[in-house]
Amino acid sequence: MAKPRILVLAAIASVGLAACGGGSTSGSAANKPDKVQIAAEGPFTGDQASIGAGALRAIQLAVKDFNKAGGVNGTQVQLVVWDDQHTAQTAQTLQAKGISDPTVLGIVGPMNSGVVLGSIQGLQSASPPLPFVSESASNVKVTDQGNSVAHRVNARDDAQGPADGKFMIDQGAKKVYVMDAKSDYSTGLADQTEKYLKDHTIPTMRDQAKAGQKDFATTIQKIKSFGADWVYFADEGPEAAPFVSQMKAQGLTIGQNIQFLGTDGEEDASIITASQGAYVGAYATNITADPAGVSGSAAAAYVAGYKAEYGADSLSQAGPFYGSAYEAAQVLLQAIKNSPVKNGKISRADVLTHLGSDTFNTVFGSVKFDSKGDVTGGGIYVYQAKGTQMVVVKQVSG
Amino acid sequence: MDYFLQNFPQQLVNGLELGSLYALIALGYTLIYGILEMLNFAHGDVYMVGAFLAAGVAGLLVHNEVAVVPAGLAVALMMLVAVGGAGLLGVGIERIAYRPLRNANRLAPLITAIGVSLFLESAVQVWVSPAPVLVPSNALVPQTVLHVASVVTPLTGLALFVAAVALMVALDAFVFRTRFGSAMRATAQDREAATFMGIDVDRVILVTFFVASALAGMGGVLFGLRYASVDFFMGYLLGIKAFTAAVIGGIGNIRGAMVGGLLLGVLESLVGGFISSQFQDTFVFLALITVLLIRPQGLFGQPLTDRA
Repeated sequence: MAKPRILVLAAIASVGLAACGGGSTSGSAANKPDKVQIAAEGPFTGDQASIGAGALRAIQLAVKDFNKAGGVNGTQVQLVVWDDQHTAQTAQTLQAKGISDPTVLGIVGPMNSGVVLGSIQGLQSASPPLPFVSESASNVKVTDQGNSVAHRVNARDDAQGPADGKFMIDQGAKKVYVMDAKSDYSTGLADQTEKYLKDHTIPTMRDQAKAGQKDFATTIQKIKSFGADWVYFADEGPEAAPFVSQMKAQGLTIGQNIQFLGTDGEEDASIITASQGAYVGAYATNITADPAGVSGSAAAAYVAGYKAEYGADSLSQAGPFYGSAYEAAQVLLQAIKNSPVKNGKISRADVLTHLGSDTFNTVFGSVKFDSKGDVTGGGIYVYQAKGTQMVVVKQVSG
Repeated sequence: MDYFLQNFPQQLVNGLELGSLYALIALGYTLIYGILEMLNFAHGDVYMVGAFLAAGVAGLLVHNEVAVVPAGLAVALMMLVAVGGAGLLGVGIERIAYRPLRNANRLAPLITAIGVSLFLESAVQVWVSPAPVLVPSNALVPQTVLHVASVVTPLTGLALFVAAVALMVALDAFVFRTRFGSAMRATAQDREAATFMGIDVDRVILVTFFVASALAGMGGVLFGLRYASVDFFMGYLLGIKAFTAAVIGGIGNIRGAMVGGLLLGVLESLVGGFISSQFQDTFVFLALITVLLIRPQGLFGQPLTDRA
């Protein structure tokens, strides 16, 4: 297939960004590490760039803020960027560079469940293992397979699926057309939601979209024929805009004769523009909080910092994970800072231990992982497309 | 059975719309194969570039969801730029990437074509946009929805079908009823002999590339107006589908490409509608294998040359 070209782009991106990192070292102070690197991994270009690019900016800002506050005992952390383009093969190639370099101490990401599941064995079997903190991988298997490297700050599918199902039922759903996008993430989540709906005697019909699909005429006819009053679409995002545009063009208007609930990647204001307004009224749940939508001074300070760094209107392009990406980076950086420095070196094994045992201070308050690597007390948030923005309408706990 | 009867007309219409797009792109594969016996795998990406040119023009002419010039003029400009641009791109590709290899081993131009395809996709991804780009169709074409009995389709869908069929008829007339068309068929039949008859073969090949690519560019415009979203990878799968349509119809045969495209679209729509969306592509390529096993020359058999 057409994948190798992606490697070249990713390599260029990572070299360019690595060069921006600071980092000088004399090794004079006993507790000052010589070199500290972390990686940001996700789909930063390609079909899912609209969710990846905002997360990358958040991670870059987190590293910058951390370095401004003194870094790791005076050593500036360098960020390498791995653009996996939402494919596990690309991820493995990129991760191999980090695995062989002991100064790469952890990964913020990968963002996609499918990428995690396709590359986690390599990270786990590395010596020492290379830990990661994902900001968005929600498939239950990510942390259920017993790999110690796995951590995530977002909620799981088995929390999100029932929460999504319950939300639709609470809103009066009678018949739900359940769709996924043929990925580990979306299929797993749609399964959970469909199961919850069926357990509550709501009739469902299941269908799938293809990655990059633009023509939904066949699907829309099936929705009409089934007589659904809700469409549930678990997806990373890029298919939503053409889908809802065509729903409208074929007589299904969101908020009038159909309701729409999307997930995560569809909690993205750019879909409103890309669908020329057809998305207005749609709901989307997110497994992470939007810092602009929660109370708390740390979150408010971060939102202000993000706008100062990237421009006043940058939040509309920030995607659904700019909060959790910053949070995940904070967690990893603090675990590194808490790890002992021996002969100018920090060991990945120690970082892994501290990730498991410490409590971290983040933009969303204090965070701790359970024994599997899931965050304790992760929440699910419901958003609605209003005007040109996604607005929090409800928090449902996981 | 009730379910089938109620849904069949709509799914048939959906399939014909999709199929007309496949057919338009399939024509390009078949034209170029007919003349050069070469598979231009960059053809799907020429279509993609055409769609981006149209999106670019639309982006310039539409501000805050309102067209700054009359909508009809804006659409005409989109067509002009996309058709012209894609045509010239096709000519450029032929001149730079294929002509130097015209007498090389048959595999060489095939591999070059794949290289050109990768180049175009990556170039658009890096220089234009890695994310889907909006074509502000609401401001450009009426968003009327047509209802005929139980069948519903947007006006843009009907326009896509009508425009594609009209272009196919025009192309058929061009190839079979004009002097230049005779020159094309002569070149397809025997390039050397055509040269002896005073036909400028290089010119014929360039014009063929221009026409094939311009059709792809037009496909890009029609697609943008119908689906309102274009991305750098859109030509990849569509190119393969169109190629499949051309082979099913009998590659090299113009009428075969049209029928193959429409058949493929209808097949895809019916499989999606009545079997499962999961199996759409499976059935498309199963159809290809079946046709190749039973009728290796494709449904319409003889290549363009023998029809002369």
